[in-house]
Amino acid sequence: MAYSDKVIDHYNNPRNVGQLDKASTEVGTGLVGAPECGDVMRLQIRVNPETQVIEEAKFKTFGCGSAIASSSLATEWIKGRTVEDALAIKNTDIVKELSLPPVKIHCSVLAEDAIRAAIGDWKKKNGVAEPATATAAAAH
Amino acid sequence: MLKVLDSAVPVACWSCSVAHNDATLFCPHCSKIQPPPGGDYFSVFGIVPRLDIDLGELEHEFHKLSRKLHPDRFARAKENEKQWSLADTALLNDAYRTLKDPIHRTAYLLKLNGAEIGEEHSGKDRKDPSRVPADLLEEVFDLNMQLEEMRMARKMGEADLELQTSLEKAKRKFDGLLDDVDQDLRAQWQAWDAGDTAKRAAAQKTMVSLLDRRRYLSNLVRDVTETLGA
Repeated sequence: MAYSDKVIDHYNNPRNVGQLDKASTEVGTGLVGAPECGDVMRLQIRVNPETQVIEEAKFKTFGCGSAIASSSLATEWIKGRTVEDALAIKNTDIVKELSLPPVKIHCSVLAEDAIRAAIGDWKKKNGVAEPATATAAAAH
Repeated sequence: MLKVLDSAVPVACWSCSVAHNDATLFCPHCSKIQPPPGGDYFSVFGIVPRLDIDLGELEHEFHKLSRKLHPDRFARAKENEKQWSLADTALLNDAYRTLKDPIHRTAYLLKLNGAEIGEEHSGKDRKDPSRVPADLLEEVFDLNMQLEEMRMARKMGEADLELQTSLEKAKRKFDGLLDDVDQDLRAQWQAWDAGDTAKRAAAQKTMVSLLDRRRYLSNLVRDVTETLGA
């Protein structure tokens, strides 16, 4: 199976690799893993408390090229979006953008889970109630 | 070679034409070798599909059948019998390897019973994303960080003893967690073997997630072992 050019690009030049201060109230951390392949993904966001815009996003992923590319793309996409906007990103969008083959779809699911987990952590820290629609969407 | 349980259908022996069940390696009537049977691995040994099996009996049957199938015994047999002795031996070896190992046996029998285990079911049917417990994830992540550091240090030609000690400690810990999972799996065998539909379904669900956790841990232990051994 060949990786698409976009996957290879993200794999070779991952965007936004790194770490944010987990203890900061402006930072939300999502840590997710796929038991099937042993991938583990940490995605962090720093949210502007006034505007609710995600100003910074960092990730660190241990896993295959598709998992790294999915999380790299996810950080690019959520940067500059509001928290609610970022929740609209679906794993299928990532699949399409990176042309992931069916066996790698779980990598994109993991990236979507990571975004939700990071936002969920930030909301919990800041006492933001989870709107009913977002919870329903998270259950997909 | 996965088939539905109880798939044995009667077929006629190629030599004596007497019907027998298609799971057998030798015709019960004329004792002639048969082509590789179509049943599951358990039926190769003539044992009931269970998780808690008698390993002594399995080994005994394996040796007995291996001797009976040995290609030397077919040196002067018909050409197709020679080929079947090879094909049946290969099947017997696969069946034995799968059934003697408690984990392989569990995964095999659950799959026969319709369970989806491993990568083939990832992606779809993900109603419970991130089935790995949060505390385990933290440790897995930290361990991966250490592994990366270790590999980097190696590349630079430095030996970081402190890191090595910490990884060895982590490996022992994760080996221990693997043992725990194996024990938890065994604890479910009886409930599954008893055959009560509801209890079997519950035990199967528990074992599928245990097998997922086990794969996660064993991948990790493998990575640590490789890095330490490099």
